[in-house]
Amino acid sequence: MLRFAINRLIAMVLILWAVSFVAFAIIQLPPGDYLTTYVATLSANGDRVDPAAIDALRRQYGFGEPYIVQYWKWITGILLRGDFGQSFEWKAQVTDLIWGRLGNSILVEGLAVILTWLVALPIGIYSAVRKYSLGDYLATVGGFIGLAIPNFFFALILMYLSFVWFGANIGGLFSPEFENARWSLPRIWDFVSHAWAPILVLSLSGTAELIRILRANLLDELKKPYVTTARAKGLSEFRTIIKYPVRVALNPLVSTLGWLLPALVSSSVIVSVVLNLPTAGPMLLRSLTSQDMYLAGAIILLLGVLTVIGTLVSDLLLAWLDPRIRYGGK
Amino acid sequence: MKFSVLGTAGALAGIAIGALMLANPVLAAQQAPSLDEMVSSGALPPVDERLPENPLVVDPVESVGTYGGIWHSALRGGLDNAWIARTVAYDGLVRYDREWKEIIPNLAESWEVSEDSRSYTFHLRKGLKWNNGKPFTADDIAFAVELFKEPSYGAGTFIKNPQNPVTIEVVDETTFTLNFENPNGTIMDELASVNGLTLVSLSKDYCSQFYPKYNENAAEEAKAAGFETWELWMTDRCGWATETIRWANPDLPFMNAWMIDQPLTGDATRVTFKRNPYYWKVDTEGNQLPYIDGLEMRVSDSVEEITLLALNGQIDFQDRHISTVANQPLFYDGQEEGDYRMGQEIQSSSNTMVIQFNMNHVDEKRRELFANKDFRIGISYAIDRQEIIDAVFTGQGEPYQVAPRPESPFYNETYAKQYTEYDPDKAAEAFEKAGLTKGGDGMYTFADGSPLTITIDTIASLRPEWPDMLELIQLQLEAAGIKMEINNIDRTLYYDKRPLGDYDAQVWGGDGGLDVVQEPRYYMAANAESVWAFRWQAWYNGSTPEIAEEPADWAKQQMDLYTQLRGEGDPDKRAELMTQILTIGQENFPVIGVSLPGDTYYIARNNLKNVPDTMFQAYLFPTPAPYDPFQWYFAQE
Repeated sequence: MLRFAINRLIAMVLILWAVSFVAFAIIQLPPGDYLTTYVATLSANGDRVDPAAIDALRRQYGFGEPYIVQYWKWITGILLRGDFGQSFEWKAQVTDLIWGRLGNSILVEGLAVILTWLVALPIGIYSAVRKYSLGDYLATVGGFIGLAIPNFFFALILMYLSFVWFGANIGGLFSPEFENARWSLPRIWDFVSHAWAPILVLSLSGTAELIRILRANLLDELKKPYVTTARAKGLSEFRTIIKYPVRVALNPLVSTLGWLLPALVSSSVIVSVVLNLPTAGPMLLRSLTSQDMYLAGAIILLLGVLTVIGTLVSDLLLAWLDPRIRYGGK
Repeated sequence: MKFSVLGTAGALAGIAIGALMLANPVLAAQQAPSLDEMVSSGALPPVDERLPENPLVVDPVESVGTYGGIWHSALRGGLDNAWIARTVAYDGLVRYDREWKEIIPNLAESWEVSEDSRSYTFHLRKGLKWNNGKPFTADDIAFAVELFKEPSYGAGTFIKNPQNPVTIEVVDETTFTLNFENPNGTIMDELASVNGLTLVSLSKDYCSQFYPKYNENAAEEAKAAGFETWELWMTDRCGWATETIRWANPDLPFMNAWMIDQPLTGDATRVTFKRNPYYWKVDTEGNQLPYIDGLEMRVSDSVEEITLLALNGQIDFQDRHISTVANQPLFYDGQEEGDYRMGQEIQSSSNTMVIQFNMNHVDEKRRELFANKDFRIGISYAIDRQEIIDAVFTGQGEPYQVAPRPESPFYNETYAKQYTEYDPDKAAEAFEKAGLTKGGDGMYTFADGSPLTITIDTIASLRPEWPDMLELIQLQLEAAGIKMEINNIDRTLYYDKRPLGDYDAQVWGGDGGLDVVQEPRYYMAANAESVWAFRWQAWYNGSTPEIAEEPADWAKQQMDLYTQLRGEGDPDKRAELMTQILTIGQENFPVIGVSLPGDTYYIARNNLKNVPDTMFQAYLFPTPAPYDPFQWYFAQE
């Protein structure tokens, strides 16, 4: 197990290096650079910039250097100084910009994931064990509705309803008086009273999906002889189901856990925009459209890191969960 | 003194006369009650010492107001600095009056222009102070000129214009002269516009510490602060004019009515401004402005959220982002419940969409076709504008070419209306005249029989209505025998294509409908936004000589006239020159317009007073700032 983990860690470093290289290449792929979008934005506002000023800016930012030179500067800055470079658009250090937003992302989406699992697991198990019961049908209908409604649309409906019924705005994560305050009980309460909407929206389709997957997996397992054996040996029904078939049915869910971490940060871009959540998603979107290279690069690189770490965690979890898994093929 | 502005709109009913200049306020100055305590505790000097000797006296739109209140509005995401420019930042040397007709004193109380329009001498008010209490003098302006002249410092301003270099001469604390190498007849307009703020946005006392010329350790200090060069550190600390970064540094001195309270940082969810106790304007009764205590802007990526906030009465004044055609019925119905009203805004834009065929196409055959006036006339006749207006703009607007708006003194009905009727027969006639021949399938081909398909570039993310309009035009042109394709691309590619010259046509909005002289891009090949003649404008501006091409005679004639205009000090002569340019533009019909944009609207809470019922909507005239938000006030219940 330990050796397995060490091997994986070494591979991780190489993968991360490749990710950083590709991430940097991808953000440079679109035509033009940040200054082209800057000119376009001003122009859309009805303004113009002197070409001379643009030339000066281009020199100031070091555009026009070869790809490999720019990459080298970027990656050594990150490794040696933890410096992710400057955001052109904000004219500020990338590190100052992203941590707060990443924190919000992980908080909100993490809560959404926890809610998803808390709701979906019992319902999924129930609807498999009591197949074709009224409860199963309700869960199925609910699940399909949840899958069919696009997240952002659900968010819009919630916003509209809360405006019409309560005259309240549910956007954002905090009331003005708590935005810059330190964490305290009233602030937590304020957060909960705002965050229920995004958490509900974000967990809806995930919950529906999880119910369906768990139900299907469990149905396969429930028919297998080992379940019958367990029952025959006199285990209680609850223990039988939780200890054996559910554990096996969780396998596909745990093995996709690796994608969960990056999804925490990037899955909810549109919902975050609609509900005005100060998370990393909208910032990534904006930095990509404006070609704010170092900011976009930093977020993409972090997403890569999260994916790699997530995959490792899910492999380790899987090995623990399912004794049939072997470490490294022989 | 007053200075007439060219190319702006005529008188508008419902807009009060601009601020009147009195020599001195009659009454002793009063201040906001919220400042009383600070004065009595000695934290602030008394109001008479804070005001300049000759404060600017502002005539209120309706009545003298009362102090207090917070103006709530919203920014669309953190990079929406244009809204701050339009509310807080607009305080240059001079400003536009509320009718957008004249340039009136602001920080400068008067100015003189030399005979040859080369040197401009400004007299600042005596005793002006930054919001930190330090004096604002001619040295601050000289510092800005010095910094912006640095070739390595990227700031977009006329100071960097290589064609007409400028130097500054400081005469005394309140007097300075700008000396241009060539005559400059348009500089007052530039200074009165939103772009004029660059010159007055930096305090030498504060900003010189980041400049190696004044602080030999500036470069090392920049490194220590985590910036590679002193330029980047300077940009971060001393953002100029309306740059986003300017609103992130609360230490930076300001001359505006409100100053930063909670800054606009990357993770800010709201930005607030509070009263500047040193603001240098008073009302007609000697009350120091502004009336409103502060501004609070919610930073929201969600237009839907901003719209709901407005409907809910949680926004006191806003037009930006929410005043769309689609939202209009919604806002209309919600007026009573939200306790707000809607006001009229007249757009400065002359057109909903301008189709610019590329007369400088790198392909010889296409260049010849697109440069052929008859071809463009044919396209114009083939477009059924009324159908587009009804389908896309719910009937608002009228068929219109790219010509000065009806409110403009340059309005000319022929220019505005020529070739706008839908007439397939005349279209066919024009296409034949342009040398196209009809193929067997009823579609036109080049004279040599090779197939003709025109591709029009557009950016859906910028204006969602453009693709809708183009889809209708595509059907209409197809019926007239012209094959057309819509190429929806990203805006950076849009810009990158321009110097390459292989695009058939691009579309854009109708800039320059009211600001005719300042923005003549569609009347002549004036600047890099004249996409229909990108290589001609390069020849004229000299910025990208590698692609420059000698323009046609008529275009050159216009350029000569515009060069004369730029050096002309007399407003009447400039108007005459502009009329000549427009006449040539009308004859040669370079670009095709669709329709005149209908009026748009703002929404304001019912208790917000001194807001004119009708406004012009523009950016160079940064609506609503020229309507003096510092004299808006909330009526007491």
